[in-house]
This record gives sequence, C-alpha cells and structure tokens, in this order.
Amino acid sequence: MSRPARLLALLLGVLFVLSLFVGSNPIPVFQALLDRLRDAPSAIGIVLAEVRLPRTLIAIVAGAALGVCGAALQGFLHNPLASPGLIGTSSGAAFGAVVALYFGFAGGYGIPLAGMLGALLATLLVYLIAGRDTGMLTLILAGVAINALLTALISLLLSLAPSPYAVQEIVVWMLRSISNHGFDDFWLMLPGALLGGLLLFRCRRALDALTLGEDTATTLGIDLRRTRALLFAGVALAMGSVVSITGAIGFVGLITPHLLRPLAAHRPGRLLALSALGGAGLLLAADIGVRLLQRFGGVEIKVGIVTALLGAPFFLWLILHHRRSPA
Amino acid sequence: MRNPTLISIPLIPALLVAGLCQAAPQRVVSINLCSDQLLLLLGDPARIASVSHLARDPNASWVAEQARHFPVNRASLEEIIGLKPDLILTGAYTNALLRRALKALGYRVESIPLAKRIADIRRNIRRVAALLDRKARGEQLITHLDERLAQLREHRFARHPRALFYQPNGYTAGRDTLQDEALKLAGWENLPATLGIQGYAPIDMESLLLAKPEQFFTSPYAPGTQSLAQRRLRHPALRAATGGKPMRVMPYRYWLCGGPMIVEAIEQLQRAHP
Repeated sequence: MSRPARLLALLLGVLFVLSLFVGSNPIPVFQALLDRLRDAPSAIGIVLAEVRLPRTLIAIVAGAALGVCGAALQGFLHNPLASPGLIGTSSGAAFGAVVALYFGFAGGYGIPLAGMLGALLATLLVYLIAGRDTGMLTLILAGVAINALLTALISLLLSLAPSPYAVQEIVVWMLRSISNHGFDDFWLMLPGALLGGLLLFRCRRALDALTLGEDTATTLGIDLRRTRALLFAGVALAMGSVVSITGAIGFVGLITPHLLRPLAAHRPGRLLALSALGGAGLLLAADIGVRLLQRFGGVEIKVGIVTALLGAPFFLWLILHHRRSPA
Repeated sequence: MRNPTLISIPLIPALLVAGLCQAAPQRVVSINLCSDQLLLLLGDPARIASVSHLARDPNASWVAEQARHFPVNRASLEEIIGLKPDLILTGAYTNALLRRALKALGYRVESIPLAKRIADIRRNIRRVAALLDRKARGEQLITHLDERLAQLREHRFARHPRALFYQPNGYTAGRDTLQDEALKLAGWENLPATLGIQGYAPIDMESLLLAKPEQFFTSPYAPGTQSLAQRRLRHPALRAATGGKPMRVMPYRYWLCGGPMIVEAIEQLQRAHP
C-alpha cells in the first residue's frame, strides 16, 4: 500500500467510527455494541446495528463505487469530465431500477440487475454517439442529451406508476439520500458493486498503458477491445447496483479522481484504489454532515444536495482551469 | 346527557340556510372521500347525484358497495357544473381554488372538517344530516355508534402496550388524530403522541426505535403497488424492534375517514392486544 493510500484508509477508518456515533439521537455506542455482542436485545443495539451500521456501509460501498467508476472512465476516455453522473450511467441505472421496482417486474436482486442493464445501455449509447477521444465537448453533449432523455423518462414513468407514492419519489431518484436503508438493501447492493470493482481493477495496467497512446498500448500487449468490454461491464455492474439502491448521487465520481490524481503520480491505474478510498470517505463525510444537520438543525436534507453543493463549484473550477490551459 | 338546546345552537345557521332554500337539496354532489361516505350513509339515494371515484375503492371506502350505484366524479370544475348540483360537499383539504371557483359561480359548497376524535364524528354526522334534512337518520347512526362504543369500553386492559400507526415514508399519527383516539380506546398507548408528535407527521427511525414500540399497525393505501416509501416499511430494524412480531394490517376504510366504522377499527385493535 502506498503512503497516500494508507492515509486515506486511516481517514476512512476514522470516519467509519465517527459515523456510528452520529444519529438523530445520542446513544451510548459502546453499551449498544456490548448489547449486540452479548446478543442481548436492546433498542440502542438495534439502532447501532440495524440503522447506523448499514447506512455507514452503504455510504462506503456507494462512494467507493462512484470513485472507482469515475477514475476508470476518466482514464479510459481521456476526458477529465467523464463520470458516471455525466455520461448517462447513473440515470440509465436509475431508469432500469425504476422500471423494475414500480412496475413490479422484479423484486430483490431483480432491481439491481435491471439497474445494471440500464446503466450498461445508457453508457454504451453515449459512448457510441460520442466515440473515444473525440474531445470533451462531444462526450459531454452526448451525456447531457441522454441524461435529459432518461431523466424525463424516469419522471414520466413515476407519474404513471400505480403506487400513489411514486410521484413524490421523482425527486428522490434525482437527489437521493442514503438514510432509512437497512442491511437488506446493503446485501442487494454489495455483490454487483464488488464484482464491478474487481473488473475495473483488472483494467489497471491497460489504463496506465493507454496514457502513452493507443498504438503504444497495443504494442505493450494491451487488448483494447477487451479492456473496453471489461471497463463498461465493470462500470455497469457497480453503478447499476449502487444507483438502484441509493439513487443518482452526483459529483462524487467526478471530483474524487481529480482531487486524488496528484497523489497517484497521474497514473490512472494507481488512481483506481485511491479513488475508491476517497469516494467512500467523501460520501460518508457528506452523509455524516447530513445527519449532524438533522440532529442540530432539525432538518433532513438529501445527501445528493450536499455532494452537488460541493461538486458544482468544483465543476466550474475545472472548466475555468481548462480554459486557461487548453491541453 | 348534554343539554339538547346547546347542541342545536351550532345548527341554527344550517337551519336558516335550509329554511331559505325552502326544501332539502335534491342533487347532492360530494367530491371528497370522507364526505362521500357520510353522504352515502345518511342521504336519500334518490337525491345523491354523484360521489368521488374514491368512494368505490373497497380499500379506502367503507361503503364502496353502495357507491357503485351512483355516478362518480374526479372533482374537476367542469364535471361538477355538468352535474347541476344544488349542494356540494367537500373535505377540509379539498383544493381551495376549486372551492372558491364553485362559490364564485353561486353554488352552495359545504366543507366537512376532518374528524380528529369520536366527538368530531358525531358532530360531522349531525352536520351532514342537517344539510341533507335527514336528522332522524343521523341520530339513529349516532345512537348505534354510541352503543357499540359502550360495549367496546367494557373491555379493561391491565397494560397499555406502546403501539403506533406506521405508514410509508415513516408517517405516523400523533396527538389529535383518529388513530390516536382509536388506539387509546382499544387499550394501547399511542407512542408518537408520547413523543410529542402532533397530527399526521413523519417520525424519525432512530427516535422511533429508541421509544421501544411493541406493535406496529399499518394501513396499505394501494395494496400490490411498489415504491421506495412502501419498501421502508420492510426495514429490518422495525421487525427487530418488536422482537420479530410482524406489523398488523388495519384496513384503511375503518379509520381513514371519520365515521361509524371507527368501531370496527377499535374492535380489531382490541383483538390485537397481547
């Protein structure tokens, strides 16, 4: 493990512990842990183990998946603006999950599976429209178009869905919160996220080689088509699972790789692991912020609002930065 | 017994209006599920012009079967005008713009307030009965309701376990709700009321768990449909909180609206007592 990675892991560990202490009510966490370990049923034990722990783990897995996917897409597409939120992956996943959940086509693991399929189709569509290395603008425009289309379709479907609660949930799918999820949701999300992450890590060497250009990478023995297939499958698996449980949480996938790129010596392969740790930390910190606001401010906001408030200014900075040094 | 003159004082304006109109309304239209049910229970079938489409939903309406004999409306202005009503019954939460538009057009619009306790149910029955010129039928309904309530009150419970009405998105019924009244009458302690929750409001998951609920009651509004809000009812922590005891389902038609059917709800709640 490199030094930056160790530091990030340590930070994540601290956030993890902190996260178990923050909720809408103060609870004696150690007592709750003891109750749980002794198998004594207690209300504080349930709050710790069935509310705070799954919420924390979901933030970690979702943040890590967003970070890895952002880093992999930015590396592969040679595009600093590539991220699951901007190239249609997240809205594709949300679309798939919405179709499955509200129209009763699937329950249980069917929901993340539908999310994966939606993510894969949307990403491929944007990729086919924009192509690789065609410049930042084309990709972003294609992403904007597909995102707009899918967002409209999600709203349409939720308006038509039989459940009376569906219409209110349009906003939930756009700016999702990770509150009120239990371990059942965590287990639904985990397999796809892990498998997707593994596929992406197998692209590490290829991503490093690709910084030297496609021709050089090919002479180094990188199979471009295989890399592309692995990468898209990985992103679809991870984002499909995560978004179908948490909704589209914006900007984590975009800003995490940028923040950490200097620490990875600008090698996209090395950036993957760092982005996983960083994304997890970022989303968990944002969610802790949400819970602190709820506890002391009495308002409950969606974690997507926090990440967007952090991410949007960063996005603007990125654009200005690229205007100054158009490289 | 209460003083009958005192009870009749609030009825004076209604009587005056009825007097001015010379006769009982002949074409009554209701556009709210709660006023629909009172109209169907109290009204002369020949004079009911229309009820809302929700009145036919067997899940939400206690008189769904009767509602099938009457034309239904979806509370749109054009539709209501087409029905040529001489009395329009609405609920407390009926679209204010619609109500204003109807009044501006010269229709007689009567809004039936939300029932938050049994006394409100009696009051609403009397009010609608007076509007329809069916006071005798109203008193008959109230007498029957009070008899059933007296029977139910005979049950004594040694313990008042903590229970709550829990709905999708974490909504619950605190103080000043029909559910609060029904739970208490059935020998339960209404947990959200003890936490200071007023009316129908969301309860935070952690606060709920820490208050150690013993029994959840839920009323599916649209059984068979799916949403994130409804999924939240299946959160593993909720089941763990009651030691694996599942939520009990209370048909919504018994306590969504205030009416004589509240006794059915209370009876079921009593039977659920441990």
